[in-house]
Amino acid sequence: MIAMSTRHILLGLLASGPSHGYDLKRRHDERFPQARPLAYGQVYTTLQRLVRDGLAEVDGTDSDGGPERTMYRATGEGTHELSRWAAEIAPPAPFVTNEIFAKVVVSILSGGDPAAYLSAQRAAHMERMRELTAVKAAKGADLATVLSADYALNHLDADLRWMSTTAARLTTLTAEVDAV
Amino acid sequence: MSRPVPLLSASGLTKAHGRTPALRGASVELHEGEILAVTGASGSGKSTLLHCLAGIVRPDEGSVTYDGQRLTDLPEKRLSELRRTEFGVVFQFGQLIPELTALDNVALPLLLAGTDRAGARARAGEWLERFGVRGQQDLRPGELSGGQAQRTALARALVTGPKVVFADEPTGALDSLSGEQVMTALVHTARESGTSVLLITHDAQVAAYADREVQLRDGAVTPLGVTA
Amino acid sequence: MSSLRSDLRLAWELTRGSDRGEWWRVALTAAGAALATGFALAAVALASLRGSYRVPVAAGLLDEPGTRSGVIVGLLLLLVPVLGFLGQCARIGAVHRDRRLAGLRLAGATPWQVRRIAALETGPACLLGSAVATGFSVLLLLRQWDRPTALAWVGIALVAAAVPVLGAVAGALALRRVVASPLGWVRRVGQRNGRGPGLLFLAGILLVAVVALLAVATTSTPAANRPNGGPPLQLMGMVLAVGAGAVWLSGATAKATGRLLAVRARSAATLIAAERLRDDPWSAARTHAAVLLVTVAGTGFLGIRQVLSDVVHSGRNLSASTSYYTTGLDLTGAAIAVAFAITLSGLAVGTAESLATRRRGLAAQAAAGVPRTVLGRALLLETALPLAPAMLLSGLGGTAIGAWYALLAGRPVPWVIALAPVAVYAACLLAAATSLPLLRRSVRPGELRYA
Repeated sequence: MIAMSTRHILLGLLASGPSHGYDLKRRHDERFPQARPLAYGQVYTTLQRLVRDGLAEVDGTDSDGGPERTMYRATGEGTHELSRWAAEIAPPAPFVTNEIFAKVVVSILSGGDPAAYLSAQRAAHMERMRELTAVKAAKGADLATVLSADYALNHLDADLRWMSTTAARLTTLTAEVDAV
Repeated sequence: MSRPVPLLSASGLTKAHGRTPALRGASVELHEGEILAVTGASGSGKSTLLHCLAGIVRPDEGSVTYDGQRLTDLPEKRLSELRRTEFGVVFQFGQLIPELTALDNVALPLLLAGTDRAGARARAGEWLERFGVRGQQDLRPGELSGGQAQRTALARALVTGPKVVFADEPTGALDSLSGEQVMTALVHTARESGTSVLLITHDAQVAAYADREVQLRDGAVTPLGVTA
Repeated sequence: MSSLRSDLRLAWELTRGSDRGEWWRVALTAAGAALATGFALAAVALASLRGSYRVPVAAGLLDEPGTRSGVIVGLLLLLVPVLGFLGQCARIGAVHRDRRLAGLRLAGATPWQVRRIAALETGPACLLGSAVATGFSVLLLLRQWDRPTALAWVGIALVAAAVPVLGAVAGALALRRVVASPLGWVRRVGQRNGRGPGLLFLAGILLVAVVALLAVATTSTPAANRPNGGPPLQLMGMVLAVGAGAVWLSGATAKATGRLLAVRARSAATLIAAERLRDDPWSAARTHAAVLLVTVAGTGFLGIRQVLSDVVHSGRNLSASTSYYTTGLDLTGAAIAVAFAITLSGLAVGTAESLATRRRGLAAQAAAGVPRTVLGRALLLETALPLAPAMLLSGLGGTAIGAWYALLAGRPVPWVIALAPVAVYAACLLAAATSLPLLRRSVRPGELRYA
């Protein structure tokens, strides 16, 4: 999966108006279900870096009856940077780093059982796909949930298909790896 | 923990088409309310397994037991009745009668069961509504899109309230969005009514709708890797 | 002509590689062509005679130009059911052939190449039938006739060559749409309408009628001794009028029955049959039209026969022996019986073909638990439903002919003949029922395995 830029996502969330750290974290987790939840500490450090780089600024504080919170808002430069990033093409798989493939090759090199590994990995992938499908097919699932589950499902499916063809060609691969 | 008795089970099935073996000792169990996916490469015997389990084909060897009855011992007439009343089938295509409207296609199993025409059409209409094809009820299968035709076929398979639905690549001819609609409709209905589903597919994303998966290779069920 | 050779080779390979249905088509087409050739040859040989002869068959019926022309007309009329039968044979494996030839188009064959291959698939079958029939006819002719005239030989050669050529042309014509749009026919969606073949059949009848009129005009030269030359022509005109209407009638009744019953159907079998009729009322129109023609002719003939034999046996002022008249009647009766047999074969072939075309769908129905009895009943109803009203009308037509003739001769009207259509109807259902064993074979689950 393409690594996401927390900086830009926070900038994007700020685009709808000033907000404080906790609120940003909550809205992030809501908007991007199935993604890894943001840690509050990470939100805080990222906001500070945005301020340092002049992309965001402090908009005062707000207590709202509870503890005091620092409000942030995007600067003009921040808005500009955000629109530049949003229109930028994500580089399509610039490096092929594939843990599964690495494990298969290492397994061949060290005299392990790559077929057994692939089979177990396949079962784990299927299990995860069933979970995601259950989330997606649940009654009343909103579109954001469906789409993000779909994204993951398609990637898992791609892995799975790759694993099936690899499993079918293990003999040839073993011969090739051993020959080098 | 003792496993409950499966609703449908097959053991040691072998079947050859002419000289080509399709099944070589396949065994499988389907429990009540379970959605089971059977996956495997083309030619691994998936469809033949479904045909044997649904009593459409008699295996050369082995037995199929459904709800305490050995299907392999039943006469064709009784099997046909069983398929009509307790089972529902959905194929990749071809199961709708091209000359009948979508509504009459769905009403047909009810007519066969002795329901009067008006009643059958009313019930069929409800099912089409449920699967989002009510608006196309007066069209013939040739005029429906692939997804609409499959949802109509699904309605036809489910309209009699079967205990088991056999689906052979139900999304095989569909794009992924139509396939998703068909699968969601199938899974929701099956969960609500406690219907068991035997789902044949080569597509992992479709198999992921099931509770469990068995893989066929060369006509036999292969043990799956240890699940996490 | 290396391209023709390669096309011939391809046509042969395609035929050889296809299933049994294709061989059935070849065999039945050859049989139909043989019948057509036989009837046409007999007519031609008789037509080549001029004036009075001693012909040693049929109790002197063929000696005089007047009665001879009647026999010629009868032989030519026999071509009508044969045409219907051939049309039905052409439909055997039509779906598969359309797909196959459309596949050829997609693979890059030119429209002309596809037409040629199609013609080469039909032509040889007709050639075979025509050759066999010509061979036997010539042998028979040489035994009966010491020195046939040159005119007779020319006629024989023409007929022997024309049948395969016409067959090939018809085979190529039937493929217009495949040639025009290869994709449309691979997918086989959209409306079929059978008007094309229906019109072709009508054109065939018209051709036969014109030839028959010509034959009458040329063989029965100056018939000064026959003041009553009108009635045979009137009779023929009437039969033709009723027959031409029959094609439309059978299509239209099929359509109307379908529409009417589809709404009211209470059982699954009736519903399936009615909707099939409504969807494609013309598919069986040709065969049914031939059935109607035979019914009209047969019923009318029975009436005429009744009246005539009444006249003959009362034995007053006859110009020839009793056997002269009874042989004429028997010959006509035999001709109608042959026509009826051919028509019934066409019907049986048509039903079998309709089954074979749908075998995948039928297998899916059976797999879903639709009982075979329901499928069988639907199949029979498909023949029975549209034929019933059409049969009623043609029965009325035939009875009217019989009654008219009786009134003309001043004899009592033989009402018994009104039972003939009932018998025809029963025979048709039996013919359709011959394909029921095929249904059992068609619903094999093996059919579910292929797209």
